[in-house]
Amino acid sequence: MSIFLQTLYEGIINGSALALIAMGIALVWGVMGILSFSQGEFLMIAMFAAYYLNLYLGLDPILSLPFCMIIMFCIGYFIYKLIIARALRGPVLGQRLITFALSMVLINMALLFFSGDFKTIREVAISGSVDLGVIIVAKNKLVPFVISMIVAAFMFWFLNKTRIGKAIRATSMNKTAAGLVGIDSEKAYAFAFGLSAAIAGAAGCALTYYYYVYPSVGANFQLFGFIAVVMGGFGSIPGALLGGMIMGIADSLTGVYFSPSFKYVGICVAFLLIVQFKPKGLFGGK
Amino acid sequence: MGKFVSNNKKWFMGLAACLVVAILFPQVVRVRFVWNLLSLIMVWAVVGMGWNVIGGYCGQVSNGHSLFYGIGAYTVAITCQYWKIPPWISIWLGVAISVAVAFVVGKPLLRLKGHVFAISTMALAECARIIFVNWKWVGGATGVYIYTKGVNEYLYMQFKNPLNYYYVFLIFVVAILILIKVLDKSKFFYYLRTIKGNEMAAESVGINAAKYKNRAYMLSAAIVSIGGSLYAQFILYIDPSTMMTLNISMMIVLTAVMGGVGTVEGPILGAIVLTTISEYSRVYLGQYGGLDLILYGVLVILIVLFVPGGILSIFHKWSEKRHASKQGKSEVVGG
Repeated sequence: MSIFLQTLYEGIINGSALALIAMGIALVWGVMGILSFSQGEFLMIAMFAAYYLNLYLGLDPILSLPFCMIIMFCIGYFIYKLIIARALRGPVLGQRLITFALSMVLINMALLFFSGDFKTIREVAISGSVDLGVIIVAKNKLVPFVISMIVAAFMFWFLNKTRIGKAIRATSMNKTAAGLVGIDSEKAYAFAFGLSAAIAGAAGCALTYYYYVYPSVGANFQLFGFIAVVMGGFGSIPGALLGGMIMGIADSLTGVYFSPSFKYVGICVAFLLIVQFKPKGLFGGK
Repeated sequence: MGKFVSNNKKWFMGLAACLVVAILFPQVVRVRFVWNLLSLIMVWAVVGMGWNVIGGYCGQVSNGHSLFYGIGAYTVAITCQYWKIPPWISIWLGVAISVAVAFVVGKPLLRLKGHVFAISTMALAECARIIFVNWKWVGGATGVYIYTKGVNEYLYMQFKNPLNYYYVFLIFVVAILILIKVLDKSKFFYYLRTIKGNEMAAESVGINAAKYKNRAYMLSAAIVSIGGSLYAQFILYIDPSTMMTLNISMMIVLTAVMGGVGTVEGPILGAIVLTTISEYSRVYLGQYGGLDLILYGVLVILIVLFVPGGILSIFHKWSEKRHASKQGKSEVVGG
């Protein structure tokens, strides 16, 4: 029982990072219809930013989180204006390939500037662990979880209550109709893309609390992020959050109870089966 | 077949001209690097044409064709290592296995659409990669050596001279190109195009979409598997992290898209452009850790952004323009 609970706990922690990635992917998918391969790399850039802010300025990742989010938002906004806006006029397949090529460029830029070594932040503000009897709670893993939940809550607030958030949702429902009532869809798209990068940035910043930083770190989250989005009903942001959580838990549980080397096979097969019976995801309607 | 040739006289004459150039070019440019480059181009041309059947003609964009690429490569490697079966036979064995796998997984997968289909194929390829990494019998993560000492280099396709690889691969490319050209005007490919255009409409006029999609998937798997086998023979060593990653799957898609999706000759053009860029940038910039792939990525973004129809579309536009201006002239003369 204790092992099960411990595994569940680890799963929820991992799931919270995946949930943020999945939310970013779901946002871009839902609004622009692009399957974004560069989401994992936004996470990676934010991780490097957090690492270097810690190294040179001594900032704890919790404190550098707002900076990371703002930097990532600007990078995302800029990339949208520079590349994605043009790509949206082309075929769907081209858009997907462009985000893939972009991820390749970003990974190799990181490799060029920061080298491929594994880096970790030595001292974080909150560390140590608490023995609750049934499970051992590592404090430094709790931080990313809390941050993810706060960012997710912030996202819901932003998309549901603010003017620009409403504009983004309206554009994702019907671009033409949104245009007719005076919403600048171009602006909404750029904001949505920037926002998705910012979410990935928050996830990356929080992850540095216990995860290694290296150029291709994003690849670990990319496919699972996609799967989480499909599980949650594509384009749905609450669905992506839940899907990410489920993926994280499934990942930990299969690792412990099935086989650590074949766990991905188990998850992928489970995913393929679920998609067969529920093509709109676990929480999607008919 | 004779009628087919006479109907497409112009195309076959063009092919013959290109073949002459392709055969003579390495004789003129006697550089080993260029010979290797040409062989790689041929491999990617095969793979690109294979993907094009399902992704280009049928519009079902698979992002997991590294699965079949890997199956082709591993079949050749394993049969050579354990039973000394020459690749001339085991390539077809790989094709058979790939087609069987495609038949089994095709039916459930092809019911999915759009991004979900892409993600599912990715997940499937990832499964295969992890199985191969952990499967001791096929070499696990360390991979398999195909090179065997003291065998007949022609029987086992392990040439010392890279030029021989090139000529053998060229035969495969030409054979597959002609096959695609024949199919291009066949009922089968028209069905596929209809399915790509509108699956619902295709079914309403009596095309069994599921059946033809699955057939296209099998044909595509077969051709990509041949490409994988050829590549394995060319480098004589394979492991899961060079054969079965997402990167390979995406490169396969890129090759076809770059040249022109759903065209006969497009993937070959795409293979020429992409392989040349990647090999030359690797040679000149490879020592600056990652700079070559940055250049590659940037060029890919630029080409996809500014030539969304593929490189072949430039030629089409150019010939249309010429045609139009010719017509305009003759009208002026006639008037």
